[in-house]
Amino acid sequence: MKIALFNNRNDLREFIRKYGTVIGALILFIVFSLIIERFLTASNILMLLRQMSMLTIIALGFNFVMGAGGFDMSIGSACGLIAMVFALTLLGTGSLLLALSAALLCGLLVGLINGMLVAYIGLPDFIATFAVGSIIYGVKMLMTRGNPVSYPSDISPVFAFIGRGFVGPFPFPVIIMFFIFILTVFVLYRTSFGRRVYAIGGNPVASLYAGINIKKYRLATFVISGLSVALASIILTSRLGSAQPLAGEEFLLDVIAVVFLSTTMFGEGEPTPSGTFIGALIISMLNNGLTMLNVPYYFQFITKGSVVIVAVLLAVTLGQKLRIKFL
Amino acid sequence: MPEFIGINRNILEAEGLGKEFNDVWVLRKIDFDLRTSEIHSLVGENGAGKSTFIKILSGVHSPDEGMIKFDAKPVVFHSVKDSEDTGIRTVHQEINLVPFFTVYENIFLGSDRKRTVLGLPTVDNKTMRAEAARVLGELGVELDVNKKAHLLNASMERVVEICKVLVQKPKVIIFDEPTTSLGESERVRLLEVIKNLKKKGIGIIFISHNLEEVTGISDRITVFRDGAKIDTINEEDASPAKIISMMLGDKTYYDYKKVCSHRIDEVCLEVENLNTHRLKDISFKLYQGEILGIAGVVGAGKSEIARALVGIDRLDSGRIRIHNQDYQPSPERAVTSGLAFVPEERQAQGLILNYSVMKNITLTYLKKWCRWGFIIDSVEEKKSTEKYIKSLSIKTTGPTQLIKFLSGGNQQKVILARWLDGDFKIGIFDEPTKGIDVKTKEDIYHLLDDLAKKGNSAIVLSSYLPELLSVCNRILVVHEGRIVTEICPSEPGAQEKIMSAMLGGVKVS
Repeated sequence: MKIALFNNRNDLREFIRKYGTVIGALILFIVFSLIIERFLTASNILMLLRQMSMLTIIALGFNFVMGAGGFDMSIGSACGLIAMVFALTLLGTGSLLLALSAALLCGLLVGLINGMLVAYIGLPDFIATFAVGSIIYGVKMLMTRGNPVSYPSDISPVFAFIGRGFVGPFPFPVIIMFFIFILTVFVLYRTSFGRRVYAIGGNPVASLYAGINIKKYRLATFVISGLSVALASIILTSRLGSAQPLAGEEFLLDVIAVVFLSTTMFGEGEPTPSGTFIGALIISMLNNGLTMLNVPYYFQFITKGSVVIVAVLLAVTLGQKLRIKFL
Repeated sequence: MPEFIGINRNILEAEGLGKEFNDVWVLRKIDFDLRTSEIHSLVGENGAGKSTFIKILSGVHSPDEGMIKFDAKPVVFHSVKDSEDTGIRTVHQEINLVPFFTVYENIFLGSDRKRTVLGLPTVDNKTMRAEAARVLGELGVELDVNKKAHLLNASMERVVEICKVLVQKPKVIIFDEPTTSLGESERVRLLEVIKNLKKKGIGIIFISHNLEEVTGISDRITVFRDGAKIDTINEEDASPAKIISMMLGDKTYYDYKKVCSHRIDEVCLEVENLNTHRLKDISFKLYQGEILGIAGVVGAGKSEIARALVGIDRLDSGRIRIHNQDYQPSPERAVTSGLAFVPEERQAQGLILNYSVMKNITLTYLKKWCRWGFIIDSVEEKKSTEKYIKSLSIKTTGPTQLIKFLSGGNQQKVILARWLDGDFKIGIFDEPTKGIDVKTKEDIYHLLDDLAKKGNSAIVLSSYLPELLSVCNRILVVHEGRIVTEICPSEPGAQEKIMSAMLGGVKVS
């Protein structure tokens, strides 16, 4: 029997193209709920949300870069550097405010460098941000010789709260995540800035001819990406209780997976905040569920890679144009 | 032997060929024939239908009426490959060589000769070198086949492009403006090469804007105008003057005719000695309320003037003043200085295709519809968009319809609305009616006149003369990056004078 909802095959294709990823997320959720005993419990769901908060925040920042047609390969490296800068400032001065400012400043600086190289000097974004990531990696390893920076756990109760605190039943990072999500939606869809970011991604030449200073806007998207990495890095450092130079290195792979999923979602061909959120949910569910199933850690990489391939393949075979440019 | 009966038999014929895009016939009922060992030129203004016609012959477009015969047998081309397999090859206007490949590697790009060494297929460099040298020799060109392509000069690059086509052993070659961007001696040399090809029995379709060249090389010349074939004439009956009059015709194209001038004696834009990589010593003045036309063939430097004014191309030197104030061009400062720019390529340079009609209209002056300068007031934005949809009669289902679903003319109106939404003083319109139906064209002419009436000024860049003659106060003609003359549309013989200047000073009696 035919499903009455779809009059013909094209409607069905269109539906899968738009909502395939969302349906995938739902199926994954249901399967995990059925086969993992403690998956569908309030505490696990909250933990899942807390785990995904950092990934989501970075991916939302990446959403701006990719919305304007760019790419940022430096996020993983930058995360560890910012954590070191943060911890060292906190240890050196004992002032949380100074440490937070230093971390955000560091994120801003990384974004500025990326943005200058890509938007103003005109280097290809993949190469420029990849090179910056490599430089950052060297700097942070030289700074610390690869050792973590620890600080006394009672150095700042407010700081501990950022990563580990609760407001009512909700972990504080989850609240930050939702706040950033709403802010992103607002900026991208309700402000002239967001409108122009997507316009530049849609057609940089036409945007230039319409009188938009596309260099300025592209620079700004990299700065936003840098700042969002800084925020995620602060939460991560607070959660771990020490600053690891290599912490967050795997964010790069996860964030790329998330934004690719986001790009294929809703048939838009460009990343959307809600797509990014669902993408982050899928990747985090995989991390969480596979860990609970005692699947070896490195197997998760195989799964994540496969998920991205399937999602992109679905979108491409169903005739959608992706806004992803290579070099 | 039957094959040699009539050595100049018809190799390629078109019967009643036509093509429509979006319900507009851009080509109608074209009868055309090409013989072996013949150079048959196509001439006509931009938009006359030449390129559509050769795109049908080379399999890019399929015709909506009529048929093609090759060697007296009907053929149907579903793709470029079908046409190439039949034996029709095109030497395109653009050069497509791999810079660090040698001449012979470029010639055999994609069609490498292979041989088997120890059971493995390998590239047969020796054969390819020999064959490349042979083809070059037949053309009468001395060129080292091992030279890297990036070291070649412009005419040699073109020769390599021709060789690429020749090794495929074509029966028909289409040359699409092969001599543009060539210097005088290179041009002469290339024409010799093309004449040599004719001796080999190949049928040649030759397209050029240079009429001296056309009359010098052709056996027959076919003139196109407004998507129709006007006539085919023999070489001995042809002269540049005759061809120009055939290209222009004597009918008036549109009902629209400028009624009165709104120009006042106040300079609003002054350009002095502007130089860029494509422009040489451009100087002109634009007066308030004036519509200034700039005429020139494709590639003459019209668009480059616009691009320099709005800060997309870098200025090497020169000075621009707007209302007596110095102006350093940049796209952003152009907007704040009151310059509007409607680019030539609607889709590539004008529109954000995945944006709605509304978002495309408000793109430039978005701040106007924002509270506190950054939060979009979507209610007001929508109201203003609806106003423009009504006043410009844009055919759309509403402000939220995606722009890509609109027809060309309506897309153009959306770009015009984008600028009307602001308070620009000087509008630069690059080919504003390209690919647009007659009704919308007239709407746009009236709009230009209204703008002038309100005291705005406009620069209209166009290669279509009747348009410039009916809308402009003055017309400047550019040729190879320079302004060569200024002509008033009302002076006697204006049309012929402009056409002659556009084509590089061909004498018109």
